Amino acid sequence: MPVLFPHRSRSRLLLGLSLLLGVVALIFLTDRLTASEPAVDPDEIGSGTLMLRGKGLATAMPAMRLGTDMEVTVTGQTARVRVTQAFRNTGDQWMEATYLYPLPEDGAVDSLRMVVGQRIIIGHIKRREEARAIYEKAREEGRKAGLVESERPNMFRNSVANVGPGETVLIAIEYQAPVRQLGGEFALRLPLVVGPRYTPAQTPVEEAQAVDAPLAHPALGKDLNPVSITVHLAPGFEPANLISPYHRIAVEQESGQGRIIRLADGDVPADRDFELRWRSASADPTIGLFRQQVGGEAYLMASITPPAGERKRQAPPREMVFVIDNSGSMGGGSMEAAKQSLLYALGTLRPQDRFNIIRFDDTMTRLFDDSVPATAEQVALARRFTEGLEANGGTEMLPALESALIDSRPDDNRSVRQIVFLTDGDISNEKEMTAAIAAKAGRSRIFMVGIGSAPNQYLMRRMAEAGRGTFTNVGTGKEVAAKMTALLDRLAAPAVRDLEVTVEGATLDMTPRKLPDLYAGEPLVLLGKGKALSGKLTVTGTIGDKRWSRTVDLGDAQDSPSVAKLWASRRIADVEAARWAGETEDAAADEAIARLGLAYGIVTSQTSLVAIDETPDRPEGTPLQREELPLLLPAGWDFDVLFHGQEARAGQGGDMQPAEQAEAMDLPETATGYMGPLSRGAALLLVGLAGLALRRRKARA
Amino acid sequence: MTALAIRKGGRAFGRALPTLALAALCLLGLSLMARGAIVPAKAWAAQILLERAFEQSLAQHRPVKPWPWADTAPVARIAVPRLGVSAIVLSGGSGQAMAFGPTLMPTRPPVSIMAAHRDTHFAFLKDVRPGDMIEVQPITGETARYRVAGARIVRWDRFAYPADPARPLLALTTCYPFGATEHGPLRYVVWAERE
Repeated sequence: MPVLFPHRSRSRLLLGLSLLLGVVALIFLTDRLTASEPAVDPDEIGSGTLMLRGKGLATAMPAMRLGTDMEVTVTGQTARVRVTQAFRNTGDQWMEATYLYPLPEDGAVDSLRMVVGQRIIIGHIKRREEARAIYEKAREEGRKAGLVESERPNMFRNSVANVGPGETVLIAIEYQAPVRQLGGEFALRLPLVVGPRYTPAQTPVEEAQAVDAPLAHPALGKDLNPVSITVHLAPGFEPANLISPYHRIAVEQESGQGRIIRLADGDVPADRDFELRWRSASADPTIGLFRQQVGGEAYLMASITPPAGERKRQAPPREMVFVIDNSGSMGGGSMEAAKQSLLYALGTLRPQDRFNIIRFDDTMTRLFDDSVPATAEQVALARRFTEGLEANGGTEMLPALESALIDSRPDDNRSVRQIVFLTDGDISNEKEMTAAIAAKAGRSRIFMVGIGSAPNQYLMRRMAEAGRGTFTNVGTGKEVAAKMTALLDRLAAPAVRDLEVTVEGATLDMTPRKLPDLYAGEPLVLLGKGKALSGKLTVTGTIGDKRWSRTVDLGDAQDSPSVAKLWASRRIADVEAARWAGETEDAAADEAIARLGLAYGIVTSQTSLVAIDETPDRPEGTPLQREELPLLLPAGWDFDVLFHGQEARAGQGGDMQPAEQAEAMDLPETATGYMGPLSRGAALLLVGLAGLALRRRKARA
Repeated sequence: MTALAIRKGGRAFGRALPTLALAALCLLGLSLMARGAIVPAKAWAAQILLERAFEQSLAQHRPVKPWPWADTAPVARIAVPRLGVSAIVLSGGSGQAMAFGPTLMPTRPPVSIMAAHRDTHFAFLKDVRPGDMIEVQPITGETARYRVAGARIVRWDRFAYPADPARPLLALTTCYPFGATEHGPLRYVVWAERE
């Protein structure tokens, strides 16, 4: 047979060669794998130390001092808040100051007034870039200027330019926000501090800078940025059970049903959120209807509370996935509160329930591969796991969320799947989080437990909204039992599902468009816009397996001056939700938001308020100092954990924090990597020698 | 007839080919190993020459080149007595000099920063604990003792040192993590404060 190689020997040769190649490839591959495994994770460790990148720490008192006064008027179910920030220049230079501060995530800022001496300068709403240009021009020309920008729906930045030595400029903004209602209890929350956000390494720098501010070193004391608060409460009924869980308050009776609430201690440091809760002295109200007529349009706000349902009914079996944040920002009281909350929740599991725990910082651990039945042993294991958690590292929440959303039985309609998140939510990639929920939630419902003195309310709300769950806040360790009982009771009680709203006799543009599930005691808050308010509004839903419906007459609505702006702010939230779910293009969403902002005069991501003094103040040629005012660390945050997390990990570290006044330096490449070629070479040699030995033995045989 | 010869030749070739391939593999392995092994060998040998140059520098109070064509000279000796390690530090933080010993980075006093490879001269950094003593003996003066305060892990491009510390500081830096064989963005920095 005239062939070059006989069939058998050729195939054997090929087999041998390919085997050899395979082995070589495997050596190189495994070498790479073992090498890259430690190299991937540390990249994230590094990012954990960068929570404060670019802004860092303030150890000197700023020349510009700030005092804040909040005056709140609660009428019915909306709160109108006037925030006056006094910028006082204690230095001897002309100053520009910026201050990053939080507002309720559903608040709508619509007014800016700048008070200079006896003069009041009114701010106007402009497109963001335009407002910034106007402000910068005035700043260069030496005129006083004030600017209110929205960095996030719940984070605003005030800038004030050309404050002369020894001068004080007042910046007064006003906003309104709906009062939250839950289980017959009303709550007003005034966020006073922005927690330092953990920004994942891949976030663009400009975006990270926007939500960043320097932090005040604890050595500066708490005298920075004092806040005074006055609340005029006129809920429309006799209020009872007034509670302020985080601040001592003094209550004074105003005519009839009104109350005036002040802080008992006068000024407080801006290091924790203020919350005020009240109930009705008589039966819990189940309906609130408010309307406003502006420019030929009618606006409606309806708040309807469905009946709590029969409590005796056995709740269906549940699958509960707890996601707990043990990142560095949780250090101190927050971690304790989160652990206690989780332990409490574990105690309420029934044997027919299934559960799992996921913990995350910049790494994550899933306790069980898939949810397991809540037997005594598994719960005991979960308890030990929880008790061992320590706060450290960065906050990479997205992988944990995605892991929690993996549903092993997506078609199981008999049991309920609930994901409970325990976190302070101090991350700045909120967008990715809600996008993941919108895309992958399926039948899972997401419940947010905001931990600590200043959780990121906006994230809590948007994640809960996207995940069709609810959110609650646990501020201190003492609150754990009360708040978690309330949340877990709500989760256990049958929800109102399949909600639908119909309006007869009028056309109303209603928001939210996607109606949530309702849990016991929770109202459905609807905002609508139409030509005229007449006719009937009917809400129907399913409680357990029964249909439920409620009809109200729109003619009964009371007048309220804030409904239109609340409608606009809710509509903006809808536009954002559609953008995050990928339903609208970025440009289209921006344009829609800008139009809403301009039409209703509210500050949005696309519109800012700007106030300009007409006459120049600063003499030409005098330099202007710029100062970014430092923020207090939220109460309960552990300064050392936050700043020395890396030392803690690498051994008990000293206080070598290269703080302000630091010299930046690039560190050189310091690895020869000689072990790589050495081990690869040794492996190759070994394979070669082994092969040769094998062949020799074969040849002899 | 010819077919048979070809077949025979083919068979012999077929037998020899795998042997050849295996031998080539051995050679490749050996050369790779040699390429790897030369690094620690160079690092070790250079330190012996440097030790001599350092003694001469001490005696003459000026930097003495360890070998005539060297573009670097010893500036100090650092030692961690608890771990029983010491190394001669070279001037100029170039990658070239780092093959022979730790190098002194250009910084503003009173902060000194030394860098070396994690798998040769500074492999001991992973064993350094807070409280350890680091002795630095410069060629010109007295031995300074620094106490280790802690260690940090930072990205190479996100490092900064205090411009005006209360006491002189010493930082020893190397690549992190220690076990990895790939180059990464992280650096391990041991901070020590002058006693």
